[in-house]
Amino acid sequence: MSTAQSCCDLRPISVRRAPLVFGLLAVLTLVMLVLNVGFGSIHFTLPQLWQALTHPQDESTISFILWNIRIPRAIAAVFGGAYLAAAGLLLQIYFRNPIVGPYILGISSGATLMVSFVMLTSVTVSWTLFTPFISTLAAFAGAYGVMLIVLAIASRVKGGVTLLIVGLMMGYLCGAVSAILTAFAEKEKIKGFVLWQLGSFSGFKWNEIWLLLVVGGAIMVLLYLQSKPLNAFLLGEEYAASMGVNIRRFRLLILLCSCGLAGMVTSMAGPVAFVGMAVPHMARLGFGTSDNRILIPGACLMGGLVASLCDLIARSVMAPVELPLSAITAFFGAPIVIMLLLKRRVKL
Amino acid sequence: MNANLYQYDQAPLLEIHDLDVGYGHKPILRQLNFSCLPGQFISLLGPNGAGKTTLLRTLSRHLSPMAGQVRVQGRPLEDLPAMELARFMAVVLTDKLSPPLFSVYEFVALGRYPHTDYLGRLRSEDQVSISSSLAAVHALDLAERPFADLSDGERQKVLMARALAQEPKILLLDEPTIHLDLKHRVEVMAILRDLCRSKGITVIASLHDVDVAAKVSDRVALVREGKLCDWGTPEEVLNAKAVTGLYDFDKAEFNSALGGIELKGEGNRGRAFVIGGMGTSSLIYRLLARKGFAIATGVVHANDLDFHVASALGADCVVVDPLVPINGEATTQALNLLRDCDLVIDSGFPLMEGNKANLELLQEAFNSKKIVFTLRDADPKSVVSPMSSSYHRCSTPSQLVEALESYQRVPAAQHHPEEA
Repeated sequence: MSTAQSCCDLRPISVRRAPLVFGLLAVLTLVMLVLNVGFGSIHFTLPQLWQALTHPQDESTISFILWNIRIPRAIAAVFGGAYLAAAGLLLQIYFRNPIVGPYILGISSGATLMVSFVMLTSVTVSWTLFTPFISTLAAFAGAYGVMLIVLAIASRVKGGVTLLIVGLMMGYLCGAVSAILTAFAEKEKIKGFVLWQLGSFSGFKWNEIWLLLVVGGAIMVLLYLQSKPLNAFLLGEEYAASMGVNIRRFRLLILLCSCGLAGMVTSMAGPVAFVGMAVPHMARLGFGTSDNRILIPGACLMGGLVASLCDLIARSVMAPVELPLSAITAFFGAPIVIMLLLKRRVKL
Repeated sequence: MNANLYQYDQAPLLEIHDLDVGYGHKPILRQLNFSCLPGQFISLLGPNGAGKTTLLRTLSRHLSPMAGQVRVQGRPLEDLPAMELARFMAVVLTDKLSPPLFSVYEFVALGRYPHTDYLGRLRSEDQVSISSSLAAVHALDLAERPFADLSDGERQKVLMARALAQEPKILLLDEPTIHLDLKHRVEVMAILRDLCRSKGITVIASLHDVDVAAKVSDRVALVREGKLCDWGTPEEVLNAKAVTGLYDFDKAEFNSALGGIELKGEGNRGRAFVIGGMGTSSLIYRLLARKGFAIATGVVHANDLDFHVASALGADCVVVDPLVPINGEATTQALNLLRDCDLVIDSGFPLMEGNKANLELLQEAFNSKKIVFTLRDADPKSVVSPMSSSYHRCSTPSQLVEALESYQRVPAAQHHPEEA
């Protein structure tokens, strides 16, 4: 009886603090959402905003701007950031390496390459049936393709920094192919591609938002159900297998989920740097745990918050000029990579 | 006897039939056959690279057997569902893991994996199991500490607790005491032995300390050159010859009566004769070996501790049967050895009816003007006469060490021109 009694005192601090951190993150994310909807290159008064928000069918300019530009963009930023962070968390556990993420491993580059095929060439023009989703599917294929190559190399060479270099090289290769395609492409297409490649949550259409919510949401539910084997996998494959994890199925599922999430976001928002790598670390620090039952939702909230903040900065600092999103994320992401490289032992 | 009967009653937990293990197409160990009963402590001994880890990884199903079969309570290992296997068998590996941000309690809770629901939520019986696992490795006090802050020894105990939280019948450990300090080495082995005795868990561990293995194991498996060289109780399997063969000892020897390994010296600094017996000389033999002296000794009884140490160190030892008074023939033999030596050490053995004759050796050492070191409390003049030689009295072994360190071999070595 005394042992059972003492267990209750052993409740880890991280679990006790989790609700507080969740609450704080949720409030901050909501604030960011409101700010992203409320602020923009055109100023509106609060009553105007309220009027437009409550009457989405209005013919007014305010209503149009809110419902077709600002709200989709704000939602896209939250969910895009959330999914990139979740993808990064998965990849860090999968590779047992703290300095990986979808962008760093070249997965975003693979997606970019395939999207450049869609955007720059006429190969897919006749596939009208798939048009809304064609770039998403292409991005997923590209992400998965690069992932398989990185995996093949990672199985031969061990070591965190090697993986980083492999990812960089994949990025260069994919960039080279995109550059060659650009050279042959028509001018108008190039402009669109270049803008897309800088990364931005602008220009999301509602059908893309729904795709993001439904498919992404389904993947997230699936992922949350994998948090138990993900926790076991923190100890490495051999321990995980000895505890009853079906390693082959688990590995495939994790790869499909992370490529799916990263590919989807990349196809719509362009390659967004470092969110996937940096946010999981911020979440670990914030929640003080490696428990994925807390970290998966935690990293998502944190990712949504960070991406929204970066988007707000990108479009308001030099307004009306909009800064590329990846430039802003790189400003805080790259120092984190360097810091992690300097700190030799990082916890997952 | 009762314990034995009790054990034979039980069906084996694990049976290994004609098993070949290895990576790829290259078998490392072939034709393994043995079985493990509940509550047995089984040690795998052998040099590095012999295949102990490969065997353990095959038993834990991380590698598939290249031939033969592993049967778990009569069923083929490969047929067991992963979760069932996890409730039957747990592992403790050697690889250093990058510690996650978990408290010790949360870390051990990971071991509940095969018992918890799809989200790994802990019920009260899980919490009881975690606490008792921590208690079994004497680590309850660590529960709230961050796992990353533990020392190597504490971490090893917590890894064992995590394995125990799976509530396994078999625990596989790969080199559980490697990298540990002596305190934790002893503690870990004691914990493992207790798990066998009190919880009836079968422990299969690869070990590198043959002396520890001899003391804790119920069965030992000697693994070398691609096969199981020997299998059985440590009493029958671990003898000097088997252990020397297992590890290719050249300058060391295992002694089962001493339960340890003696390190032989170079023997190139001269030859020392130790007049000893009754356990007075063991330390002296070891320090002589360490200081590079070849050793001769006598006359000792065959059941004397000195005899075991001397023979493990490869000394020339004149020995007589237990309890038989030392007689003329043995003394003559010892006298001949003594005359060939560069120096003589009197261990200060107590004088009894059975070993009085050893005083003749001391007398001869003085007569033949050998350098004599004596650890005798009393002045040697009181036990032998006449005194015609110099001698050095050392009241403690460390004084003897200092004396030997300053000893330079003098021309007395002309007896052994081939050594010079």
